[in-house]
Amino acid sequence: MRKIILLICIIINIIPGYLLAQNRVVTGTVRDLQGPLPGVSVGEKNVPGNGAVTDAGGKFKVTLKGKSNALIFRFVGYVTRELNVAGEEKSIDVTMASDNQALGEVVVVGYGKTTRITNTGSVSTINAAEIRNVPTANVQNALTGRLPGFFSQQGSGQPGKDASDFYIRGVSSLNPAGNKPLIIVDDVEYTYDQLQQINVNEIASISVLKDASTTAIYGIKGANGVLVVTTRRGKLGKPQINVRVEGGVQTPTKIPKFLDAYQSATLINQAEINDGQTPEFTQDDLNLFKNGQDPYGHPNVNWYDAIFKQYSYQQNTNLDISGGNNVVKYFISGGALNQSGLVRSFPDPRGNVNTNYNFKRYNFRSNLDLKANKTLDLRLDVTTRFSTTNSPNLTAASALSEVFDFSRLTPFTAPFLNPDGSYAYAYSRFNSGHLPTLNARLATGGYQNAKRTDYNIMFNATQQLNAITDGLSVTARVAYSSQEQYTRGTGNYGPIPSYHYDPASKSYLLNPGGTYVFPNIYYSGNTNIYTTNVNVQLFSNYDRTFNSKHHVSGLVLLNQQSQTFDAYDQLDPASVGVPAKFQGVSVSGNYEYDGKYLLDLKAAYNGTDRFASNHRFGLFPAIGIGYNLSGEKFFKEAFPVFGLFKIRGSYGIVGSDAAPNNRYIYAQNYIQNPNNYPFGESPINYNMFYEGNLANGNVVWEKQKETNLALDLNMLKDNRLSATIEVFRNIRYDQLIVPNNVPDIIGIGLPAINVGRTRNQGFDGQIGYHSSIGNVQWGTNFVFSYAKNKILYESEAAPAYAWLARTGQPLNQPFGYHSLGYYTEQDLANVATYQNANGGSNAGNKTIAIPDNGLPLHAGDLKYQDLNGDGFINIFDQRPIGHPNLPNTNLGLNLQASYKGFSVSVLLQGSFNYSFIITGTGIEPFIGQFQPIHLESWTPENTAAAGYPRLTTNKSSVNSPTYYPSDYWLVNAHYVRLKTVDIGYQFPTRMLPFKLNSARIYMSAYNLFTWDNYRKYQQDPEISTNTAGDAYINQRVLIMGLQISL
Amino acid sequence: MQRNYIHTIAVFLLAAVIWSGCKKYEQFPVDKVTGNYVFDPLDSAGVNAQSFLYGIYAIVKNGHNRVGGDYLDAASDDAVSSKTGGNIPVTLIATNAVTAFNFPGAENLWEGTNLSQSPNNTGIPESFWAGIRNANIFINGIGVVPVKGGLANGTTTAQVWRSEARFLRAYFYFELVRRYGGVPLLGNKVYNIGEDLSLPRSSFADCIAYITSECDAIKDSLITAPVADADNYRATKGAAMTLKMKALLLAASPLFNGNNIDNANNLTGYTNYDANRWVQAAQAAKDVIDLHSYALNPSFTDIFLNQNNSERIFIRPGNNTTNIETGNGPVGFSAGGTGNTSPTQELVDAFPMQNGLPITDPASGYLVSDPYSVLSDVKRDPRFTATIFYNGAKWLNGTVQTYEGGPGKPNSSLQQTVSGYYMRKFMGNFETSATFSNHSSDWIIMRYAEVLLAYAEARNEVEPAPQADVYEQLYAIRARAGIEAGAGGSYGLAPGMTREQMRAVIQNEWRIEFAFEEHRYFDIRRWKIAGTVMNQPRTGISVVKSGNAFTYNPVTVLTTVFKESQYLYPIPYNEVAKNPNMKQNPGH
Repeated sequence: MRKIILLICIIINIIPGYLLAQNRVVTGTVRDLQGPLPGVSVGEKNVPGNGAVTDAGGKFKVTLKGKSNALIFRFVGYVTRELNVAGEEKSIDVTMASDNQALGEVVVVGYGKTTRITNTGSVSTINAAEIRNVPTANVQNALTGRLPGFFSQQGSGQPGKDASDFYIRGVSSLNPAGNKPLIIVDDVEYTYDQLQQINVNEIASISVLKDASTTAIYGIKGANGVLVVTTRRGKLGKPQINVRVEGGVQTPTKIPKFLDAYQSATLINQAEINDGQTPEFTQDDLNLFKNGQDPYGHPNVNWYDAIFKQYSYQQNTNLDISGGNNVVKYFISGGALNQSGLVRSFPDPRGNVNTNYNFKRYNFRSNLDLKANKTLDLRLDVTTRFSTTNSPNLTAASALSEVFDFSRLTPFTAPFLNPDGSYAYAYSRFNSGHLPTLNARLATGGYQNAKRTDYNIMFNATQQLNAITDGLSVTARVAYSSQEQYTRGTGNYGPIPSYHYDPASKSYLLNPGGTYVFPNIYYSGNTNIYTTNVNVQLFSNYDRTFNSKHHVSGLVLLNQQSQTFDAYDQLDPASVGVPAKFQGVSVSGNYEYDGKYLLDLKAAYNGTDRFASNHRFGLFPAIGIGYNLSGEKFFKEAFPVFGLFKIRGSYGIVGSDAAPNNRYIYAQNYIQNPNNYPFGESPINYNMFYEGNLANGNVVWEKQKETNLALDLNMLKDNRLSATIEVFRNIRYDQLIVPNNVPDIIGIGLPAINVGRTRNQGFDGQIGYHSSIGNVQWGTNFVFSYAKNKILYESEAAPAYAWLARTGQPLNQPFGYHSLGYYTEQDLANVATYQNANGGSNAGNKTIAIPDNGLPLHAGDLKYQDLNGDGFINIFDQRPIGHPNLPNTNLGLNLQASYKGFSVSVLLQGSFNYSFIITGTGIEPFIGQFQPIHLESWTPENTAAAGYPRLTTNKSSVNSPTYYPSDYWLVNAHYVRLKTVDIGYQFPTRMLPFKLNSARIYMSAYNLFTWDNYRKYQQDPEISTNTAGDAYINQRVLIMGLQISL
Repeated sequence: MQRNYIHTIAVFLLAAVIWSGCKKYEQFPVDKVTGNYVFDPLDSAGVNAQSFLYGIYAIVKNGHNRVGGDYLDAASDDAVSSKTGGNIPVTLIATNAVTAFNFPGAENLWEGTNLSQSPNNTGIPESFWAGIRNANIFINGIGVVPVKGGLANGTTTAQVWRSEARFLRAYFYFELVRRYGGVPLLGNKVYNIGEDLSLPRSSFADCIAYITSECDAIKDSLITAPVADADNYRATKGAAMTLKMKALLLAASPLFNGNNIDNANNLTGYTNYDANRWVQAAQAAKDVIDLHSYALNPSFTDIFLNQNNSERIFIRPGNNTTNIETGNGPVGFSAGGTGNTSPTQELVDAFPMQNGLPITDPASGYLVSDPYSVLSDVKRDPRFTATIFYNGAKWLNGTVQTYEGGPGKPNSSLQQTVSGYYMRKFMGNFETSATFSNHSSDWIIMRYAEVLLAYAEARNEVEPAPQADVYEQLYAIRARAGIEAGAGGSYGLAPGMTREQMRAVIQNEWRIEFAFEEHRYFDIRRWKIAGTVMNQPRTGISVVKSGNAFTYNPVTVLTTVFKESQYLYPIPYNEVAKNPNMKQNPGH
């Protein structure tokens, strides 16, 4: 599209330039945030025909003829800009801001492109240049808050494992595997893993396909929406070299605070006294913890500070070269990313190995387009990604989860090192494992290093068949990809030496079960990912305009794919080497009349081998229609304010072939169980056979009926206000779920059957506005997404009480008790009175209920509502509490401004209407570390204001969120984040040395500030529910960068 | 233009080559094992079929520390769990804190926690309904496997195996019926998804009739005792006949034989009383005795240690381990022991003196000041020492010291006895060893002493007054136990007892002979005495040491609760919710 415009501009502009006499000459350079922009049309205001087009270096030269002293810069996909050049003597620099809502902006959809005017489907798109400076390793992290209908949650900040989970328009499948969007990169399916590896610098645009009319072409894989990524390609012109170097620091969004030894010991005593036990620590112990006079006998270590640094580093370097001539066009890029981890460096006495968290990634891409002759185009894209992810060899999930885990270490458990420099071990009855201190294990425990290589190769040949009929072409394409990951590591053959130092006798006590010498080190290694994917596509395109008003286009596609998994295949661990196959035919037909009436028909007939051979293929049709009122004369006259006023709608059926657990639900299997069951007098273990879970021979894919209605508006001068608002309603049916209404007397596990049904509806869209005040250009874009789902049927057994029903609730709705505060002494006295009068049982006590599992109760324990009034707190009293963990509302507000060389871009992102509960080591005393919130616990002196229930040593008491999930523990959360900030300065061309085309320095930040609404938990608001304190906390990143174009 | 065509053709050719290079789908995942592989019509050794049969045997439970780490009898009046805190399955059962939806998994044999084998799960199915299903699959499938060999009476090996599966199926039904009352009888049908599983419960009478008729039908096509060492786990003719006896004894018992807890409800028992049921039970026991295949093992402790002794009728084999000692042994010994089981004073008091007289008899020689006869010459029943660790009992070259603050009851945060006693039964004879060594942890499901006592119990209910054959069984059991015959050879039993007196003696004999063997828990139910005994508090002993003297003070350790609804387990809540025809037991 841009090429065509370029051509037109050349014709329009250059010829008159010869004819007219010269006046004042203005020269300059046009750029966007990424560098020089070739092909921008530069025209003089009020003098039609006078102007120029920028060259490959973004340079232009215009001779002014009129009196306005103003130039107008226009380029498709960018905000049109007007600049007064009256006072400009020298070469001027112009920065243009991109505009996703511009009329002619190219929108990439499956196997083709469309524009804002002609599109009938629901697509959100973003020019990747906008997110190229976001300092995150994963492209999906950068999309949050920028694309309507895009929902994401980043559960971890660990280098190399920090990719967000994302969903398009929320979730609709009861089958957890059935909500993952399809990822398409340059028309080839990628896995989640592969997407994470892509370097944003290689990406040209990202689109999210949200409705049936855009996803039906993917048929059986389209129901969860599609993320379409296209990579950058070479453009006509001389070689342009871009270099981007950036580096900065990462720091956790929240730094957890733990109580010191004195406070922890005091609270342990308090819990033991509460339980009627003898306090663990004497007053002398407490004093020594407090005054620190006995650092070895009474240690006080803040393990978080001892183990973790304040900052870690991140570097990112990119180099790309692009250009082309009439025969070859090329885009070649290389990138290197390095993220280091937060753990301090602890030297191993036996040598020096890096056990810290670390992620390094190297990306290379070469996209070549070759025009073999007038009608044959060849294309070869080769890309590879090498990465290494390093992490310490710990048994726990992460170093942070070790610090959270009370059973492994406590502030008073051991000194950091013994006085003689030897390692200490956890010496406390709470740490029965006697683990050496975490610094000792980090220093000597070895590492796990995952080396990963991804290849993608695509070869493509397109033959124009104008000889047969104009506008017809045929393309054959082979795409191959492989991913291989080899994890190697080191570890110890046995425990490392560690000692308990007794300051009284100045003696060292060896760790029970420990050794005096360091054990030998072993190396380990295995291939844990080996996936290959072969995709063959053959398609024919037809695109022709008749009588300049009837535009017809069409596509017929044959698509076949075969995927081989490794031994650790996510679908089915037993399916080593059985390739997953996919096959299908898709057709698409579009008709457009004069840019006003739009009709779009799509259908796919495809299937996968997950289903029995007679149930493999399904038909997935969709229709989209659009009516562009602003193309009508009467409308233009009546409402000239609208540059675009378009209504559109679509309806269709798409599918999802994800199946829970077993990939072959249709095949009945018998399983050999080598379990140790001894037979005979001298026991011999024999194999046993069991029938596997029942098969479902009729299993088919899930289906979704999708309805989408939308309004596209561009209005005011220069279309400076634009809006897209979409409303959708999806019904997901035939969902694969394991039925809950089959009696257990069947005696066997059940297969998933196609019975589930849910509804997902909502709206999303964006409103953009851009304007300028003097030479300050500014713009804003507000993105909103809302998706609310509801289970319509899930074959639930008739619940005993209405509030227990899952049906009618959202997917993944948490259930739990309703907290009524704390039991008082009076409550317990009333219970005792009632029990005395009723034979020792509380059954039927309608005023005060007690847990039914024989747990002793005390004042200060959490009291829950007895919904069924039977006098007992049990599972019948659990009702829906809060919201599902995935936010149902996402908002993003992007603000941009630029003045001369300066530019600022800020994204505020917020998620609303979601809930989470932290359990286990994240919050529970004696399981997790003592935290400031525990100081607020209930005591007889602190009843009403208590912020935490009575402390108890009983880990399964009513005060445990693991055993008694309740709304006391649940946070109905929301957060607003200053997600990204980008401040840059473009050096004026005249200041640039060495014939540099352009140079820009910038500061960029990610997760800079977060406002949330809870203080119970010391976790990032994007935490998954029920996660103990074991996530590597999300990182705030701040970088400085320099970008240069040659 | 000409060249363009060539290119066009080249592109089409390329496309055609790559397209045709792609194979068709694999029509079936060939790595999956099918039923034909398990029941192989060509395998004369029946290797895989036998593996399937092993799988059914494995569903039978090993009762050692089975229920949440405790013996099931810790939910009866014989013992309590040493564990403290909440969610202890046996304590929940003993205190009526279980309901239709929270019945502890280990004792919830209806649902279990694992119905099947999924690829990610290599456990043994826990539900007895899975056992019944697997047995039915085997019964229906084994016919095609041409297994060589057979019994002397002409039964082929395949038929023997099928009978073993039928035995196991009958056993699973028996275990369900004594817990739940009547349950759905599925016959040989293996249900598939989509078939109507809204089955109603069969009546109690039909279930008993089914179990007994199955036992009758298979008894002659099973191997007979004595069996080869390698076959010690297999169902025998004697096991089938004993299972029949157990079913008939259950059916004749007061809980089910008329006056059942919901009198007109044929799911919870017979709706009438019939004395003939005792006759049938006695006859079934007599039939086993008349096999002359079994005898009482001379040593009481060795029944549980010596494999293939002639007293064992059916077992669930266990490995050679020290788990029983480490799990239940007294604390305070360096060899270890976490003392899970705390026997009650009620059980301790049930053991008579070695002269056979109960401790309440003034002539027994029992001294309150020396209740365990540590010092006294008149000893307790030797089964007492073989069943209970008391203060002063010998163990591991030392003495169990459960006085307050003693090594066996330090009153620290360590798990320890709550009653002043530990369980001794099933352990190896390590009184004079320094430490434990591995021994068999087989779980005995049926043994010959049970047949004798069942015969005595049933005969006592048949005759107006106990006849000599009732006394003879008790003499035999007591003689083996080591009780002195005494003058007149009466083993401490008074001659000429009434039926009621004799019933009390027999019930006590069940209690002390079969302590911790999952008898007492069911016996107090089938005799319908749980409402009495379980509504009294469980007591233990507080032993206070002063100098070298001990004083003994009874203490309450747990207030147990028993409601009439507890005589039968609740049908799991989910099962009633899923199946509208599944009638819940009364009171749940």
